[in-house]
Amino acid sequence: MNATPFAALARYGIVWVTLALFLVLAITTDGFLTGPNLRNVLDQQATLLIAASVATLTMIAGGFDVSISAVAVAAPLVALRIENATGSVILALLAGCAFGLLVGAVNGSVVSFAKINSFITTLATSFIVFGIGFLVSDRSIMRPESEAYRDIARTRVAELTTATWISLGVVAIAWITLSATRFGRHVYATGGNIEAAKLAGIRTGRIIVLVFALSGLAAGLAGVVASSRSISATPSDDFSFVFGVIAAIVVGGTSIAGGNGAVWRTLLGALFIAFMVNGFNLHQIDPIWQRIIQGVVILVAVAADAWSRNRRA
Amino acid sequence: MADSATHVELRGISKRFGTTQAVDEANLVVERGSIHGLVGENGAGKSTIGKIISGVYSADSGSLLVNGQPESFRTPRQAFGAGITTIAQELSLLKDRSVADNVFCGVEASRLGFMSRRETKRRFAELTAGTGIRLDPAPKAGSLSVAEQQMVEILRAAARGAEFVIMDEPSARLSGTERDQLHRLLREMQGRGTTVLLISHFLQEVLDLSDTVTVMRDGRIVRTADACDETTDSLIEAMIGRQLSGNYPPKAMRTRSGQPQQTEPPALRVRGLRRPGLGARYVLDLDVFSGEIVGLAGLVGAGRTEFVRAVYGADPMAEGEIQISGKPLTKPFSRPLRRVLGGNLLRPTRAIRFGLGLIPESRRDQGLLPDRSLRENVSLPHLKHTTKAGIVFRRAERNLVVAAVDGAEVRGGGLETPVHLFSGGNQQKSLFARWMVTGLKVLIADEPTRGVDVGSKRSIYDLIASAAGRGLAVLIVSSELEELIGLCHRIVVMRDGQFVAEFTHPDLDEADILRQAFGGEPTPCPDGLKTSPQ
Repeated sequence: MNATPFAALARYGIVWVTLALFLVLAITTDGFLTGPNLRNVLDQQATLLIAASVATLTMIAGGFDVSISAVAVAAPLVALRIENATGSVILALLAGCAFGLLVGAVNGSVVSFAKINSFITTLATSFIVFGIGFLVSDRSIMRPESEAYRDIARTRVAELTTATWISLGVVAIAWITLSATRFGRHVYATGGNIEAAKLAGIRTGRIIVLVFALSGLAAGLAGVVASSRSISATPSDDFSFVFGVIAAIVVGGTSIAGGNGAVWRTLLGALFIAFMVNGFNLHQIDPIWQRIIQGVVILVAVAADAWSRNRRA
Repeated sequence: MADSATHVELRGISKRFGTTQAVDEANLVVERGSIHGLVGENGAGKSTIGKIISGVYSADSGSLLVNGQPESFRTPRQAFGAGITTIAQELSLLKDRSVADNVFCGVEASRLGFMSRRETKRRFAELTAGTGIRLDPAPKAGSLSVAEQQMVEILRAAARGAEFVIMDEPSARLSGTERDQLHRLLREMQGRGTTVLLISHFLQEVLDLSDTVTVMRDGRIVRTADACDETTDSLIEAMIGRQLSGNYPPKAMRTRSGQPQQTEPPALRVRGLRRPGLGARYVLDLDVFSGEIVGLAGLVGAGRTEFVRAVYGADPMAEGEIQISGKPLTKPFSRPLRRVLGGNLLRPTRAIRFGLGLIPESRRDQGLLPDRSLRENVSLPHLKHTTKAGIVFRRAERNLVVAAVDGAEVRGGGLETPVHLFSGGNQQKSLFARWMVTGLKVLIADEPTRGVDVGSKRSIYDLIASAAGRGLAVLIVSSELEELIGLCHRIVVMRDGQFVAEFTHPDLDEADILRQAFGGEPTPCPDGLKTSPQ
């Protein structure tokens, strides 16, 4: 009754390919396996990891949150508006996170109570939130008034930036929440079989509201950290951030159908893509090819997931 | 060939699903232009026969002859080409498209790929004139009543020139007047030379309409006879006679006094339960005592699943009171509040807290998380007991699960094995394991042995008997009457959304129970009865 050895190999596929890629890059390039390069990769992935580790919960619960981009754009604008008005960095940080939480809670409530497809719901709220971004910023770049704002992401603690530390902290919290708490189990159950979850006494509506709220909160935090790194925030209606987030989750092996996956998978998925891009740069491969190969990698990951699900249907 | 009297003939047709022999060496001759009734208990193989003729299933062995020609349809479309169509119990209309669109779906009047509106209109008028069905072609199919939707299906069959129509339980969801209308329609179809295979639970209806009736039991054809030579009693006699295998645990009532504790409050008391919508015609009362196994018998669609789901809080109920060991489970909401909340008085969360457990009808769709481990599937409703400050304590969870899995004898994998890798029988037992916890007072099992091998069946019966032996009240819904007779202390028969009879061990007679379940004749919808006094 046990799974075949091949299935076990496939189950941890992302671990092997990330390790392999790491080894290949360490051997073929001089610049890869150096402290500054690896620290830099981690720092660059910080905002993506913050959003993606929490969005993993949303995806496992069977939801799809595309408003992450809009929140990550608008939350730092809200934060900087507060910072410019009060001069308080703490208040700015809290305001950015609270804004994300609020948007997420609205998303979750609409999905759960109006029973509207989550992709469509969050697509619609994305436009609203992008619009709010333009409103609060008066359509122009915003900059912090105090020097302290940049310290949110750029302070160095034990060689690593605070952005890296924040992202590792969020990954750890999301990981523990999903794997060790009752809430985490309910997230798996809701995405795995919502009818069975209800009959087992789980308030699935609440679970859905919560995962979207948390996803919004993380996206808000990610946006504030990003604005601290660049010491500015620009209003836009650029959706690209969420695509990187979803790519990391899916490449890690979390099922887009819900019910299956893990936060460590997203961590590895994000690192795999980051190593790949880093390796392309070190090998001086044309960025056009980078995109094409990235697309192929995502397709392979999704196909592997679909294949493993069809095999037992 | 076309003037031959035999329209469709089955010779030695067999069909097996897994371990179940659904149809066994069936021989059947359906005369052209006749209405041919097909009756039998749940699971006797009636619908399977219909699906073999209409190309949904292909037979494992035997031959199918249409107009004397051997055919082997692999898809409904092929059967269609031979003029055979089905009107199923669950209608399959495109709800957002118009009546005319539905009728001509697949056989549209078009010129060079463009729809011809005038031609569509003309053909629709022709059809309605020909069939005597009066329907407006414009409204969306989803806005029609069930009866009208059925007429759309009949028109659709006529539009495709169907000569052989299989009707599977056509009147199950119709009211009295709608049924009369359907009967008239069937006779008109017959008058135009269409052959009808009528699969129905309503024996009187079958006797009234059919020229010939075939009775099935356990996948076999018992007999085919002229309808005028049969009565409802003779049909029921032919349906029963299954061999009671005797493979059941003894029926000792192991409560303290050896008898149901009629003086104590019952473990489960249901009073005045009424569901919103179609099934809300009747008010239901039921008591199940500690240590007692009660079976809910009835035909498919009698409302048994709906009843137990409402008791568990899985589906809304309009009104009613439920008590567990004398404590009120339903909250006495005020009427306006109830209306706002959609009539939902109860949630599974609360039912579980009060000591109710439900094993749902379909373990795959409603029971299990297929990708997750046995451990997670068993502990799912009880994580509260193993959680401190939100964190699930693995050791406490393990202890709970190990005891439950041992108790339910789940075999074929470890605690960490994904549950979809277990056999059907062990998956079902894992759902029993889920409720092998202390504090459970009432266990409701809906079709507890569906899709389970013979060996696992016996161990599931033992599980049910020992649960009752520990003082649980057990309520079982099953379409296998034999199983209920073998297991239960008491059997309550449901027909048309209503409890119609009750039988107590040892007076559990298959023929008596079936007579109540079939009810002799269709009970028309009591048009005069208002559904609610509000």
